[in-house]
Parts: sequence; C-alpha cells; structure tokens
Amino acid sequence: MAELVLTAATPHNPLLWRVLTDPPPDDLRGVAANFARIRAALEAAAVDVIVVIGTDHIRQFYSDNNPAFVIGLADDYHGTFENEVRTFGLPYREVRGHRALAEAIAGRELLTGPIDFAVSHEWRLDHSFVLPLLYLTPEFDVPIVPIHVNGVLPPLPGADRYVALGEQVRDGIARWDSGARVALLTSGHMATEIGGPRQFLGGASSDPEFDAEAVGWMRDGDLAAAVAGATYERVTCAGNMTYQYVNVLAALAAVDGRPADLAEATPSRFAPSPFFLWTEP
Amino acid sequence: MSAYMMNKFMRAVEMSDDAVRAYVADPAAFVASWLDGAPGPDQRPDDRVLTEAERAAFAARDYGALYALGAHPYLLWHFTEAVYIHETSWPELNERYREAVRPHGYPDAIV
Repeated sequence: MAELVLTAATPHNPLLWRVLTDPPPDDLRGVAANFARIRAALEAAAVDVIVVIGTDHIRQFYSDNNPAFVIGLADDYHGTFENEVRTFGLPYREVRGHRALAEAIAGRELLTGPIDFAVSHEWRLDHSFVLPLLYLTPEFDVPIVPIHVNGVLPPLPGADRYVALGEQVRDGIARWDSGARVALLTSGHMATEIGGPRQFLGGASSDPEFDAEAVGWMRDGDLAAAVAGATYERVTCAGNMTYQYVNVLAALAAVDGRPADLAEATPSRFAPSPFFLWTEP
Repeated sequence: MSAYMMNKFMRAVEMSDDAVRAYVADPAAFVASWLDGAPGPDQRPDDRVLTEAERAAFAARDYGALYALGAHPYLLWHFTEAVYIHETSWPELNERYREAVRPHGYPDAIV
C-alpha cells in the first residue's frame, strides 16, 4: 500500500518570483528558509509523487462551467499562462501527472468517496500549482496529482468539505496498491486581499487576528476549531481572497488532526505567508 | 448575468498580450468589436452583452466604476494592472486603485 509520508502547505504568491532571489533579500529570508526546509523534507522523504491541492484563479475554470472540485487525470500538464508570464515573470513549465494515484483517490468507474470530483484530461496549471513547485521541486522531476478547489467564484465548498477532501486523499493513498511514497501539498494564503481597498499593504496583514488564529489551528492540530472558525463570513472578512487559506484544512484532515511540526505566517514585504509542515510521526 | 459578462470581458483582455495591446490602443473600439464578435444563436454559446454603464466603464478604463458595478476583484485588479502599467508605476497604480475602490466598500460581486 502507498504511504502518505509528508504533508505541507506553502504560499503561492506569484509576486515572490521576481524578488525571491538567491541569496534572498533580508525581508524574504524567512520565506526562503521555509521553502528550503520543506524542499529538504521532501527530498529526505524520497517522495515519488505529490498530490497538490490548489485553487485555479479563474484561468482554466470560469463561471460558464465552474466545478467545486477537479482532479487531474492527464499524463502531463502545461504550467502557467501568458498573462502570468507577463504580470509575474513566471516561467512556463511542463509538469508530469500521475493517473493511477488520481484514480485511487477519485475512483475509476465510479466516484468512490464523498467528493464528486470533476475530472480533467487537459488543464493548464496556474501559479497556485506552479509557484510552490518552482521552489520545492525546481527540476519538476516529481509527478503530481493536481486537485483544484474553487475558492474564488462563489458558491464555494464549506470548510467541512475540505475535511472530506483531505480524508479522501488520505484514504485513496492508503488504498492504492503501490509501494509509492506520497506527499500532500496544499497551496494558499493567510489573510489576503486582491482587488479590494486593503490590497498590498506593504507587508501588513489585512487581518492579523485571523492569521494568529488560523496558524494556531494547525500548530495545535485543532481540526474542529478550524472548521468552526473558517466560515465564509469570517474568512472573507479577513480579506477578499483569503478563502484559499481553507485549502490547508484538507492537509490537517489528511494527517488526522496532528499538530504541525512547522506552523507559521512568515512575515515578508507582502502579506504574511503560510508555511505548515507535518513529517512522519 | 451582467457581472458574469464583465468578468468574461476582463478575462478576454487580460489573458492575452495581443488583446491588452488592442484594448489599450482604443478601448471603446475594442469593446464594440468584442460585443460584435459573438457568434449566432446556432453556434456554441458565447454570448456577449454589456449594459450601457458597463460598456462606458470599459471604454473609459474606469476601474472604480467597474468595482462598484460588481466586477470580480481579483480579475479587476489584474485587468487594471495589465491596461495601465505601461503608463504608470506599480506603487502609484496600487495607490490610485485602492483610493478608487475604497468608497464602494465591498459590493456584491457574486455572479
């Protein structure tokens, strides 16, 4: 049986790409160090495949056909879009997929779990998927199973659905008849606003109280508090794009609510960045 | 339906370098051309309809008005950046944008 050997969450802020150089500028040292820590943990865990839970930013999926959950069945994916190359300077990347694991999670003939996944065989991955991989597997030599959760075009899945997703990923990995070592990576934000009056406040959070609470749920492994706290109203009030934070609830559910080894909203010139890591018990 | 169409228009512009250039060169003409480009009723659905207020806001590149009309904020900021960044600095545009949307608070942007 396959094994979930590492679970982590990182930011996908695409504005990092132009400024997070090596060596990093002073205000991004913490961000660089946490990406490096998770990259080293992935390498130490000898991971064969990564399940990446992210949120497409209205690039691949629009309101003409807007699924809540999508899992990729393709053998390969193109990475990022013309506008993200222009705006963020991101590089195009090719990303290998992993159909067998995707089917173990979603089902092949029937959808086997509580999540009614839409499936995709042709999907251009946006920065939510590409940006973390640029720092964690920069050679793009580890295949992924991408899972999109709609966190940007209401109606959105409620927090309890992310828990169901995390449990289904956990169970799919455990059920998969393979000796593979699997990682789960979720991609998101802390309190974040884009396109509203609180955007880009020069490193200040749009809601420091939310950030402190939301880090605490992971540090303490308190899944019940996370579900109770991550209501649409509370999360959206913290910043109009904050709902992508909720992706990390799937990670916490996948590790059965274990306290995280690393739980931090890391300061930077941008809004504080989420870094969470669970290694093997 | 209306916010849906505003968002659709912004995607049509912002996701393509060619479309950004064409829109910036003549916003009103680009809006007219986009609206005229919808296929007939027997084709795959690709309807294109804007209210007069929405059309005027796009013709004027008026991001404050678009925000008040319920444009999706993520799409709107990146649309604004794409169609203004060639004539201003990023910090100045960020400041102007925040000032323009602040009076409107958080309009209902759910399509």
